[in-house]
Amino acid sequence: DKDCLKIWESLKDAFIYKNPCNITPEDYQPLMELASHPIPCNKSLFWSKTGDLAHRYTKSNQNFLTLEDTLLGYMADKVSWCGDPTAPGINYESCPKRNECESNPGSVFWKMASKMFAEAACGVVQVMLNGSVEAGAFRSSSIFGSIEVFNLDPDKVSEVHIWLMQDIGGPQSESCSGHSIQRLISILEERNFKIICEDNYRPVQLLQCVHNPDHTDCRLCTNSTAIP
Amino acid sequence: MMNLFFPLLFVSVLCMNSFSGVQGRKWKGEGTTQNLESILIGRCYDYIRIVNPAVGAKNCSQIWEAFKNAFINKDPCSILPKDYELFINLTLHTIPPNKSLFWENNQLLVNSFADRGRRYMSLGDTLFGFVGDFLYWCGQADSPGLDYESCPTTMECENNAVESFWRMASITYAQHSSGVIRVLLNGSAEGGAYPQPGFFADYEIPNLQKDKISQIVIWVVDDVEGPDIDSCGVNTVKTLETRLKTLGYDVTCTDNYKSVMFLLCLDNPDDSKCALAS
Repeated sequence: DKDCLKIWESLKDAFIYKNPCNITPEDYQPLMELASHPIPCNKSLFWSKTGDLAHRYTKSNQNFLTLEDTLLGYMADKVSWCGDPTAPGINYESCPKRNECESNPGSVFWKMASKMFAEAACGVVQVMLNGSVEAGAFRSSSIFGSIEVFNLDPDKVSEVHIWLMQDIGGPQSESCSGHSIQRLISILEERNFKIICEDNYRPVQLLQCVHNPDHTDCRLCTNSTAIP
Repeated sequence: MMNLFFPLLFVSVLCMNSFSGVQGRKWKGEGTTQNLESILIGRCYDYIRIVNPAVGAKNCSQIWEAFKNAFINKDPCSILPKDYELFINLTLHTIPPNKSLFWENNQLLVNSFADRGRRYMSLGDTLFGFVGDFLYWCGQADSPGLDYESCPTTMECENNAVESFWRMASITYAQHSSGVIRVLLNGSAEGGAYPQPGFFADYEIPNLQKDKISQIVIWVVDDVEGPDIDSCGVNTVKTLETRLKTLGYDVTCTDNYKSVMFLLCLDNPDDSKCALAS
């Protein structure tokens, strides 16, 4: 059981009346403690540049959980907040973007929540990456690449499964044999994780086909009316 | 004699307690969802700020009051759809043409397929449907409190708070639907894909506005590993097609519509029906 009102108070106290460029992880510590909960093993699904697809997948398949399917992530998803030293202490007009100041309430929150989500993972973990992005499927500057990868606990996590998804009919910028994936694999292997990488993991590709049912990549074997 | 008195008294008090324990659960259905008010008001704000800000300004506290007043302080078996009239007036908004998606026996599938209103706007993606989805509620006569222990099922009495809510919501949803209307049916459902009685049959079809509707598209989809009980042109689906055509609608019907098949395949990716040619 969770005390939702207390959780709201602890979120509010983290940023209200404060300079929104000066937020620290300590500000969110009480909230993190109140709202965190254990995650079942083998269910953690990380993602980078595949948010929409990853969330549609976990919505249809309850075997996996993204950060946004945990209590903390669920409450904060698509919501923004920031404070201001002048009354009423909450700024409903604008909030600093990351390039204006890094230690803003949203960025600090998601970095902390991501760190905790990674720390809580156990067993086999999954990560959905985007093989149609020019800048590369795995980037060290992403939250996954800079925080989550390094906070997986080798004593709890046995394997990392990479699902390398390319857009249906989209550019095939990278696959499991690509450069950035090789880099990710070596980072993970150095930390003693076993890695499996799969190009276009079938169940997620089926989900992509929902929106592209007539694309050649989505032809069903049993479609007897298909024109070869 | 005195030796027997206290044990007897003790035993009879015990029996009375356990008797009232049995009496405590009045109804067979699930009791009111805990934190109902917070959930409803929260969902209202979630909807108007994030899910569908296009609906504009709505008064979420007023909406809660109207919702509550439909059934509070009344016999829980005496609630009628029109008791939710004010609630509907306060939550009503336009449903974009060609986005309505009706369904029977496949709620989770429809939720996934509609994608929170982005592809289609099912009843659960409207404000009035969104706030009530998956919740239970009922009141009691002569008391302003909600009954958290149990609520009547529709078998126990039809005019219960939840049933009447969905009847009113379904009526409203049908009345405000326009353009191409789609209905997703489960071809593996026992008793047929088009249930009668049913919400679609009894509350939605009769309330469709013929002059606003250009076409009705029926999709009959079987469970991946399920039996093919009904299909287009067959059994209950034939009944539905005939009914709609007689009413004067332009009707088409497709079996195992591919987009939806893919969604079903998520849980059965290795089934032969789900094998991709690539």
